[in-house]
Amino acid sequence: MDETWGLTQMTRVEVVVNGEDVAVVTELFSEVGAKGFTAFSNVSGLGHSGLHQGRLLFNERSALTFLTVVLPAERAGALLEGLRDLLEERSGVMLVSDTWVSRPEYFR
Amino acid sequence: MNSEEPVTSRARLLAQVEEAARVIGPLWPLSTFIAVNPLWDLRHMSFHDAVEHAVQVLGIGGYPSPALFAEAYADRRVVGADLRAVLDSHVASGHGASTSTEPEVRPSSKTPRVRTAAERHDDLFGTQIAATVDREVAKWCAAYVTGILPDEPAGGFYAAWCDVVVFDPASRAIAGSAGRKRLAEMGADPEDAILACFELLDVADDERVPELARHLARMPGWAGHAKWRSRWAAAGHRGAALHLVDYLAVRLCYEAVLVRIATSGDLWRRAQEHDRLPGGSKSTNHAAQDDETRPGRRAVGRLPDDVEKRLSRLEATDVARVWLAAYEGHYRDWLLATLERRDGAALGTSRARPEAQAVFCIDVRSEGLRRHLEDSGRYETLGFAGFFALPVRYRGWGAAETVDLCPVLVRPSTEIAERPVTGSRQAGDRQLVGRQAVAAARSAFDSSRKGALSPFILAEASGFFAAPIAVAKTLFPARYQSLRHWARRMLAPPCATVVDADPAAGAMSDEEQALFAEAALTTMGLTRDFASVVLLCGHGSTTENNPYASSLDCGACGGNRGGPSARAAAAILNRQATRHLLAERGIVVPEDTVFVAGEHDTATDTVTVLDAHLVPPGHRDTVVALQSALDRAGAATAAERLSRLPGGDSLGHATLPRGRAADWAQVRPEWGLARNAAFIVAPRTVTAGVDLGCRCFLHSYDAGIDADGVALETILTAPMVVAHWINAQYYFSTVDPDVLSAGDKTAHNIVGGIGVVQGAGGDLRAGLPLQSIFDGDSAYHEPMRLLVVVQAPLSLLDGVVARNPVLRELFDGQWVHLAAREDESDDWKIRQPDGSWERWTPAATRTKEASAHG
Repeated sequence: MDETWGLTQMTRVEVVVNGEDVAVVTELFSEVGAKGFTAFSNVSGLGHSGLHQGRLLFNERSALTFLTVVLPAERAGALLEGLRDLLEERSGVMLVSDTWVSRPEYFR
Repeated sequence: MNSEEPVTSRARLLAQVEEAARVIGPLWPLSTFIAVNPLWDLRHMSFHDAVEHAVQVLGIGGYPSPALFAEAYADRRVVGADLRAVLDSHVASGHGASTSTEPEVRPSSKTPRVRTAAERHDDLFGTQIAATVDREVAKWCAAYVTGILPDEPAGGFYAAWCDVVVFDPASRAIAGSAGRKRLAEMGADPEDAILACFELLDVADDERVPELARHLARMPGWAGHAKWRSRWAAAGHRGAALHLVDYLAVRLCYEAVLVRIATSGDLWRRAQEHDRLPGGSKSTNHAAQDDETRPGRRAVGRLPDDVEKRLSRLEATDVARVWLAAYEGHYRDWLLATLERRDGAALGTSRARPEAQAVFCIDVRSEGLRRHLEDSGRYETLGFAGFFALPVRYRGWGAAETVDLCPVLVRPSTEIAERPVTGSRQAGDRQLVGRQAVAAARSAFDSSRKGALSPFILAEASGFFAAPIAVAKTLFPARYQSLRHWARRMLAPPCATVVDADPAAGAMSDEEQALFAEAALTTMGLTRDFASVVLLCGHGSTTENNPYASSLDCGACGGNRGGPSARAAAAILNRQATRHLLAERGIVVPEDTVFVAGEHDTATDTVTVLDAHLVPPGHRDTVVALQSALDRAGAATAAERLSRLPGGDSLGHATLPRGRAADWAQVRPEWGLARNAAFIVAPRTVTAGVDLGCRCFLHSYDAGIDADGVALETILTAPMVVAHWINAQYYFSTVDPDVLSAGDKTAHNIVGGIGVVQGAGGDLRAGLPLQSIFDGDSAYHEPMRLLVVVQAPLSLLDGVVARNPVLRELFDGQWVHLAAREDESDDWKIRQPDGSWERWTPAATRTKEASAHG
């Protein structure tokens, strides 16, 4: 990362869960102080628990949702612990990576 | 000591609460009662494993009672051949031998093995801490949802409780002054309080989930309400928001403080003295209550020697599983054999254009009406989910609130409103004035009833009117109802209205409307050969004095009446813009086809054509003839249903369904969806002319126009899931009425409009009332897992199942059974848990033993 870009490092956590688990995941985001998140509903894919269809016409809770949240590294640990416990007994994916933002005050 | 950062501990706790809450089902408010599988969140396990888990945590039995099987065997509803067929299959293989040889079905244990800290203390020392916690928490929950416990904005249940518990005399009586003060000092927020309680109670990290689960299981009603509020209710849902974490925090605070006090001795004696006071502690754990609601235990009649010998070698749980599978297998054999015989009969299908087509909800109660309507003339019927593929939020004319007209699996995407037809605005306004006057009078009356002194004045002032009204309601319910309707019409004259589907009026866009119209028509297999009149018929149930009224309304419409959905769908399908866009998608609706809305009242079996003023003059004769045929079909259905309804009116007279519906003392206005057993996804030709006894959800489907399986996928992932929920709700309410039914209606008290308690207090009752599933001591509902019957290519079906985990869970885990065939010439096949298919062979054929369907 070029320091002249004036960006601030943060941690990005991406989660793919069933529609019915979105509420508790966003509750976790809120618990650790995340200021916002983005969700894509009705995503499809293939994973450990097999093939997942994308959009279901009349069942939003069984379709997958992709959530992404950005927060300071010092708060990410608590979120990861909570997500780890949550995903222990249910299908879902958690991806963690470094990211950089231009307006860090929006994420603190 | 916990070395985690507080925020980490709180985040982990949220995940642990979520995991613990799997064992309870959400409980919807009474106004929109939704039948739900109470073990839905355990579906990642097989059905039998989930039941076993629930046995450990909830303390339920999980399988039909021995008495039910004994009766079924005596009635030849299950026979030796059925048992032998199951014993021959893999179900019973590999299990250990039992030393008992008695030929009796043995129930599962009803004592939960998972215990809270309070229960462990009670078990060791004979105290009643757990029951005291239940009583106190139930009291505060009721106070919170009724608004007695002040709720500050963003405060929540825990904060509200902390504010007042320090002044609560009952808490001082059981915990002493110091203990009462300590109750509110466990933590500033609910998560911290729970964590502090874990520390006090010495609950290790890996014990937290079972500890929390058992806390929720102690009162599945209040916990179910909290789960609904936390996980299913819309974000802005009005009313007090009782959340799971707050609920658990209050429970654990009581438990931690009382267990600590109990170890000190003196104070606990004081608590026990308090419990002996009138209205003191009674256990609200249903599992601990007397087993009054169950039929008496009976021995099974003489079994064939080989069957008896083989059953005697099995463990108790396996015996129950064998009986259940045999019981289900007997019905499956009857149904598939009946449908197979139907294939050989002359179909009598005429290619002539039918007089009209009528689309009914898939609800099992539509089956009889459809059968009789088809007998009444050249009418075709179809089955489709009663929200007609329109997930909308509906606002009735002048209504302050909206209702969500769709299954709870989906959120409404748009709002649609009712308004007076052009030129009727003045009549609409007049009606509103009348309605407001009626509402104001009712509100004043209700307020007077609830005041401190006003009830005395009210009794003096209104007694002269109220007494004769009560007599009239009791002795002449139908006439009283007619009189009341007349009075209402006088005060608020009806006016012609329309459900406005115009995008300019805020409805969804033309494109969206066409998309939903296409989905509806394709999924029900109606894309050509339209009649000149197509009736879209929703349903609802008109009953009196019935807190569970919404449980009899349309599940596909979110526990609401289906008339508005039918009106909205008809309005959309009659729009030229929709027709034009449908034609571009290959569905040409003839110009002379008109969609007409109707509503089937399942309590009276009357069908009302709605929006008759919108029917074009050229179609009125057809609609009048259709109404006449519906009247005849309704009368025939009512007569058929009367033979199944026990008892009579409040004076013991046998009454027609219409009379029962108007009777304010009638606890069983109709049977609802009791005895539901199968979900059939096939063209009507597969089931037409067969009396299925109002036990089957019938979804029309034509695999010939569904090459990619999208329609089948929609049916299986939405209507079938809803049907499974209904089926599972009936199953568990029947097999374990103590914990998973709402109990006896005659002892119900409504709490805050959200649920009922039995008697003066305690847990909210979850599930269906006893009168919906039992006829006296005998179960009227036959508890079986749903049998799904599909006519479609197996490769198509396999593909749909493979790409939908929820279907794999349900079919692989044997929550739902699946039978299928490609077409009428094909043999029925049964899907196995590993995904393979086995050709169906009836048990009676295998053993040559005669069987009779009960």
